[in-house]
Amino acid sequence: MTHQTVADRFGYTRVVLRVEGLGKRFGDRWLFRELTFEVSQGQSLVVLGPNGSGKSTLLRTLSGLLPPTEGKVHISGDPRLSLGVSSIEMALYPQLTVLEHLEFVASLRDCDPRSDELIARIGLEHARDQVTSKLSTGMKARVKLAMSIQANPKVLILDEPGAALDDKGRELVASIAREQIQRGSLILATNDPSERRLATHELFLAA
Amino acid sequence: MNSSWQREIKAVFLKELNSELRTKSGLITASLFSVVTVVALAYAAYNTSLSGTIAAGLIWVSILFATIVSIPRIFLIEEELGTMDILRLTARPHSIFWGKSLFSLAQSIVTAFLLAGMFVAFVGQRIYDPTLFLVSIFGGSVCLSSAVTLCGSLVAQAANRSALAAAIAVPLLLPVVTMAVGATRGSLGAGFHQQAVNCALGLIAYAIASQAIGPGLFALVWKS
Amino acid sequence: MEKLKNLLRPLFFVAFSIVTVWTYIVPDAKGFQYPAMARIFFWHFPCSILLLAFMFTGIYFSFRVFKRVDRGFTSVESAIEKMQWDSRAEAAMELGFIWAILTMVTGILFSLVQWGAWWQWDPRQTSFLIALLIYGGYFALRNSFPDPEKRAHFSGAYCLASALPIFFLVLVYPRLPQVQAVSFHPTNTIMQGQLKGQYGYVTITMLVLMSILSVWLYRLRTRVVLHEIALDYKNGNLEISGRSATPSGVVRPVSVPDENESATERN
Repeated sequence: MTHQTVADRFGYTRVVLRVEGLGKRFGDRWLFRELTFEVSQGQSLVVLGPNGSGKSTLLRTLSGLLPPTEGKVHISGDPRLSLGVSSIEMALYPQLTVLEHLEFVASLRDCDPRSDELIARIGLEHARDQVTSKLSTGMKARVKLAMSIQANPKVLILDEPGAALDDKGRELVASIAREQIQRGSLILATNDPSERRLATHELFLAA
Repeated sequence: MNSSWQREIKAVFLKELNSELRTKSGLITASLFSVVTVVALAYAAYNTSLSGTIAAGLIWVSILFATIVSIPRIFLIEEELGTMDILRLTARPHSIFWGKSLFSLAQSIVTAFLLAGMFVAFVGQRIYDPTLFLVSIFGGSVCLSSAVTLCGSLVAQAANRSALAAAIAVPLLLPVVTMAVGATRGSLGAGFHQQAVNCALGLIAYAIASQAIGPGLFALVWKS
Repeated sequence: MEKLKNLLRPLFFVAFSIVTVWTYIVPDAKGFQYPAMARIFFWHFPCSILLLAFMFTGIYFSFRVFKRVDRGFTSVESAIEKMQWDSRAEAAMELGFIWAILTMVTGILFSLVQWGAWWQWDPRQTSFLIALLIYGGYFALRNSFPDPEKRAHFSGAYCLASALPIFFLVLVYPRLPQVQAVSFHPTNTIMQGQLKGQYGYVTITMLVLMSILSVWLYRLRTRVVLHEIALDYKNGNLEISGRSATPSGVVRPVSVPDENESATERN
């Protein structure tokens, strides 16, 4: 394990996400079943698997966007604050600006928007007052990243974060990911070998 | 209600309002619909005086359809754009329902008063009891908006949503319309006044009941 | 037990036949245009009661669909249970729908004979039409969700949402004084014991027999489906526990290159 915290050294880890016997069924097919694991602070789990193996579904189930057919996902704290999610499927409101997105989400979470800081972090200062329908796909992906780390989540779930991003964007993802591993834990679904290197643990889903 | 709920509900409401003000699609649809309906009705009723019952019926049928037209804008659009995930991740179901419901209430009140006002003006209908008239239009709008918000959330993920929205909303809305007609026609001088007042009271009770069960039901399905 | 069951079925048919004959030999009711034809009531009344009974049963079953949702751990057993409540709700609603149609048909026949018009816009008649529309909405909603779990959730919520209008339409609205004044339906006849003598006995016997018939139909309808759901979820894995032998994924630690910086090397 790479990122050892003091707690780790004493054989004590802070579990931030616990999954017990998780299973999801679509129609008459089980995508995955009997998944049991814990993710602790300082760990990062990379979910691997071919297209259609249920990576995104697993991540959506972990995020609470889909109800599990079986099993339980437990995230410590209020998931609105302790969970950050960014995926390619997620869309932004076309009529709202970048700044409004951050403020809207902050109001819903009842947390500090940190708009200026986050917009600078994702490098979209020039586009802060543009409606998102005018942004490129890569820029939208950055906005989603900013929204996902807004509340300094304990668990950050990223679904194919590198897709649609340029080199600078990927660098941003990598730095966010490293920062997240320091702060809490990271769950990542990817097929990108460079992102795979972030893993302390891997989960392979067969098709 | 503590401040975090207020902040969340306000955020949802303002988000809807902002999106609406920037596209104005709902506003344009509703006002066009109102003008066309009222002009058509006024044209049909030219030189005839409508009884209070008929006038109330026409007003409410128009409001009913104007409301149904607005169902897709509540949840379907979020589901179609794929923005529902943002809400599911960051908001609590009750604040979403209340925010959306308040917005659709604002919308249906504007539409209902626009329609009813234009109808009364164009057709030259006399209002005998303005208070009752206002109460009936307001109460009816509250009932319609909560039922419509709920139906919107139920059909949002369905395959043939737009057609389905009307099919499932109408049976839930018909009792409201019946009561609303009963109350409005009283204010227009038809039927017994006491009955109309009873209908208005029934409408208010129904509005409270439907606003009370709406968020709970929404919370059951919103993460399905 | 099996013998008793075999005996019950013919017995039921005999009883039903006897009551059917009985409906023809009771003396004519008074105060109708065609007193002989007032006998439709014997069929009409139980249908309307059963339509309501099944609507409320459907609402209760839909409530049960949600009862287990928030218990934290979702076991496959609880998923099966949820789907089973859903299919019970569906069966109840289907039967209710059939009774609703029969109520409408018998009502229309009665109205045609006695009042000379097939549709009166009588408040209670209209209420039952709306109930029929709610049944229609329920099935329309069900049909548009291919995923069974979503179907269960959304149609269940609709069913629960319809409780308010149904309650209002069927139990409150027809009893309002202004509605009673114009309705053709007598509301007080049964409540105040005006349905006396043979007429009353026939009505009650008919209601009992038709209820037995509906329960029987309901059981026939659900018997196979409930097992099918359980089997389907266990997906061929017919071990006693119903769990698959091997988990579909295992988390394993990776031997990561020593430095934290390994991930950034490529940049």
